[in-house]
Amino acid sequence: MTDSSAVRRLEVRNICKSFPGVRALNNVSLHLNQNEVLSVVGENGAGKSTLMKILAGVQKQDSGDILLEGQPVGFRTVRDALDNGVALIHQELNLADNLEVGANIFLGREPLRRGLIDDDSINEQSAEFLRRVGLEVSPRTLVRELTIGQQQLVEIAKAVSIDARVLIMDEPTSSLSAGESERLFEVIHDLRRSGVSMMYISHRLAEVQHLSDRVTVLRDGENAGHLQRDEVNHDSLVRLMVGRDVSRFYSRQPHEAGEVAVQVKDLATSTWPAHRLNFEVRAGEIVGVAGLVGAGRTEMLRTLFGVDRPLAGEISVGGQTVTLKSPEDAINAGIALVPEDRKQQGLILEMAIRHNIGLAGLRRNALSGGFLNFAQERRDTTEMVERLRVKTPDSEQLAGNLSGGNQQKVVLGKWLALRPKVLLLDEPTRGIDVGAKQEIYQLMDELAGLGMAILFVSSEMEEVIGMSDRAIVMHEGRITGQLQRDELTEEGVMQLATGTAKSHEERKTG
Amino acid sequence: MMKAKILGIFGLFVVLCVFMTLMTSDPWYNISTSKFLLAGNIQNLLSRTAMYGILSVGVAFVIITSGIDLSIGSLVCMSGVLLAMFLHVEYQPAVSSTVTQVSADSNQLTLPNAVTGITVGDRIRYSGGRRAPTQLLTVRSIDGPTITVEEDLSRDDTQGTIALAATVKAVERFEEEGSEHGAKIVVAGRHDLQIRDQLTLVHPTSGIKTEQITRVEVSMESTTVYLRNDPGERLTADWLAIPLKRHQRMPIPLALSFVLLIAGALGLVHGLLVTRVRLQPFVVTLCGLLIYRGLSRWLTDDNAAGFGEYSDTLCQVGSGLLIVYTNAAGETFGIPYPFFFLAAIGTVAAIFLNRTIWGRYLLALGRNEEAARFSGVNTGNVTLLAYVVCAVLAAVGGMLSALNSVTISPSSYGNFFELYAIAAAVLGGCSLRGGEGSIVGVIIGTAVMQILNNLIMLLKISGTLEYAIIGSVILAGVIADEIVKRIAAERRLRQRLQ
Repeated sequence: MTDSSAVRRLEVRNICKSFPGVRALNNVSLHLNQNEVLSVVGENGAGKSTLMKILAGVQKQDSGDILLEGQPVGFRTVRDALDNGVALIHQELNLADNLEVGANIFLGREPLRRGLIDDDSINEQSAEFLRRVGLEVSPRTLVRELTIGQQQLVEIAKAVSIDARVLIMDEPTSSLSAGESERLFEVIHDLRRSGVSMMYISHRLAEVQHLSDRVTVLRDGENAGHLQRDEVNHDSLVRLMVGRDVSRFYSRQPHEAGEVAVQVKDLATSTWPAHRLNFEVRAGEIVGVAGLVGAGRTEMLRTLFGVDRPLAGEISVGGQTVTLKSPEDAINAGIALVPEDRKQQGLILEMAIRHNIGLAGLRRNALSGGFLNFAQERRDTTEMVERLRVKTPDSEQLAGNLSGGNQQKVVLGKWLALRPKVLLLDEPTRGIDVGAKQEIYQLMDELAGLGMAILFVSSEMEEVIGMSDRAIVMHEGRITGQLQRDELTEEGVMQLATGTAKSHEERKTG
Repeated sequence: MMKAKILGIFGLFVVLCVFMTLMTSDPWYNISTSKFLLAGNIQNLLSRTAMYGILSVGVAFVIITSGIDLSIGSLVCMSGVLLAMFLHVEYQPAVSSTVTQVSADSNQLTLPNAVTGITVGDRIRYSGGRRAPTQLLTVRSIDGPTITVEEDLSRDDTQGTIALAATVKAVERFEEEGSEHGAKIVVAGRHDLQIRDQLTLVHPTSGIKTEQITRVEVSMESTTVYLRNDPGERLTADWLAIPLKRHQRMPIPLALSFVLLIAGALGLVHGLLVTRVRLQPFVVTLCGLLIYRGLSRWLTDDNAAGFGEYSDTLCQVGSGLLIVYTNAAGETFGIPYPFFFLAAIGTVAAIFLNRTIWGRYLLALGRNEEAARFSGVNTGNVTLLAYVVCAVLAAVGGMLSALNSVTISPSSYGNFFELYAIAAAVLGGCSLRGGEGSIVGVIIGTAVMQILNNLIMLLKISGTLEYAIIGSVILAGVIADEIVKRIAAERRLRQRLQ
């Protein structure tokens, strides 16, 4: 497929990058040829995003070289990278949604006429760029009126407008519908034909197989291997990504499921008011919730935890119907939630570990008169820090100083100190290193063994398949199916997750 | 982190004190000559620190929630005005009535109702007519609501009032310990008078005089009244005395509670608008600032409100001193009563913030409201509480300060107090980003602000520079704080990398 004599448009040699407590990249090398789509894959925490940020000038490598068309370059700023024709499209889009499409495309380099912004020129040129990425909207449309998929195309149009020769896309399909993804792939093919080199970062292996000319796999911040197009298949990718036997990575002991711990009847959430959710989780059972981003999984957990009000339906815990108007109610009913956004919702980064672990139990442990129970707080903290093996010199450290995995352990510690009956986890291993991941899996297994009911949402297929006794699959706000452990396959989950629509993933994996 | 901040502001406080002591001494090393250390100056500083400090402690609660309260100054003003209104005192003649008709032809006065409390032969005083002049009259006959008088009424009228007057039987001057030049007056008839009621003395030609009563003795046919001040030599037995009854709108405890209750309710409204309607605290309390100022001026018709009636009693709470030291020369040093309020409020607030679950909730939600909510904290109610505390403390400070100054002008009283309070809180270690603050720091911050104010006066710097100096010091303080914070963060990062 790839002509080895082709000019290397971009080459990365022995890049290293460390953050406090984490070695994010260690001697990573890769190259990108002309007219090529190179996929970079790896698990969360493998170093993909850090690498991309260095290439786009967002961060600076500690050591190693970047060569563009054979010339060493060092991007100090995003501007530098853009001037050299390297553009990054972030996982979270970077558009000013209060401005028009055209204004976004030309943001920071507006054409002027007599000292004022030349809107006519902007609109005329933007229309052309939008045509090239196949987005049929007026340049005068406000960005916030566009769907996520359309906004993504605006980002690409922006990159096209600066004549980018290297386009880096970080998980571009993570929030797209199947149709929108399909559209994006067409644009990628068109751009490749017109001479743009692209780096495509994704953990969706089917997409990677479909799009890539070559694949580079990263694992724990190091090169795990390179695959040519004809070598790319699901098994080879997973082997390189995980680097170990998948079945041993996910530790599960067989448990007897007990009584129904939480039962949900006809629950309607505010994001998908038309659909009703029905399911139950038994004590000692681990239930995974799979689905694409935006399928309503997080909203379901939020409703179960009292953050969002249910529009209809009934929730019962341990056979008792409960009314959950606030997280306080949920906690009193024995429910705990490890939220998706650890730094914003899970922890108070500027407070000590001890204060974070103690926070949820303050009222329960309070002395009479509402006075703080310092002794209990210290006991709980010591116990949790030991039990969860939080790596910290002492419990007075600010939570913000911990690595992602240790932060997640503190969030778990906060809840385990309350001994909940039902533990809800939303993307429990997102953005944490492999070692901590495995510890969290072990902990989940252990807690289930102690009779806790665990319901966890995950976008990592492997995780759902590896950890669940049973998986609930959601698609656009409804539960499209439940699979027992022995029925769990990647294809089976994906078919349910994409609904009945004949999606790209289905065709590829089927 | 917090401890370092408190040490920082305390250091500034000490440096300022030493600086002030030396700068105001002459020669500089002889500190016994320091004007700064004069008992009067220190008392004044303590008193001002106490009143501003109470406001600062209140606003610190709101700032910790990452909110702001700009309405404090206006609330201070309104609390003073409301207290003055609730404690308003009027003196009314013991027996009196309005008059609906004055007829010059028949020498008759017509009242709205049948005449009571007045009998034939009584002396009455007519006053308040639009055309008819004030006159002392004698009742000739009474017929239902109509009184016929002996004297000639010169003009018709349709309004006015009459009050019963008693004849003065005897006047006697005395000098008693404690009350200088009092007068003892024997008035005909039994009158239901008490201490702090008044007596108006009138004479057809010699004039009118009103004095406060200090003692009353009632006998069968006469009432003996002791007046605080001697009405003068001209007063003789041919004068008439009109007894005035004192009417206080409300008892003092009730008035104080009402003001606190109203302030608490307003704080609750602020909090509800912030937490339930989700308006920005800045906007809500900015509107409060305008509304309460406007209401205060309207309630008083923009006239000064005061507590003159209470200058010996309630006002002492705001201006009195607890004498703790008297030297050989008889000079005294006392701690102003408001300072005890600050000490009590500060202690309770510090315990609340550091030792109770609500204090911890407050700090947690100030740092990260969402994470606190996800941990089961009822963030709405805790925020609400902060606004209520702030408004109530604004009322406490406002009332103390008003009692201290006895008279307040609703258009200017409390102006900029909110900014002083916020500045002191920031100086004392509160971050406007929320989640940070200590009560001790805030109180020291207030003291620093007051010393700066004192500095301008004692060093004879032009008073017009006051705001500029205070502004510069606060700016320097927060810049220093930020620099220290960055150096500390960098050092920590470097340690962790090794």
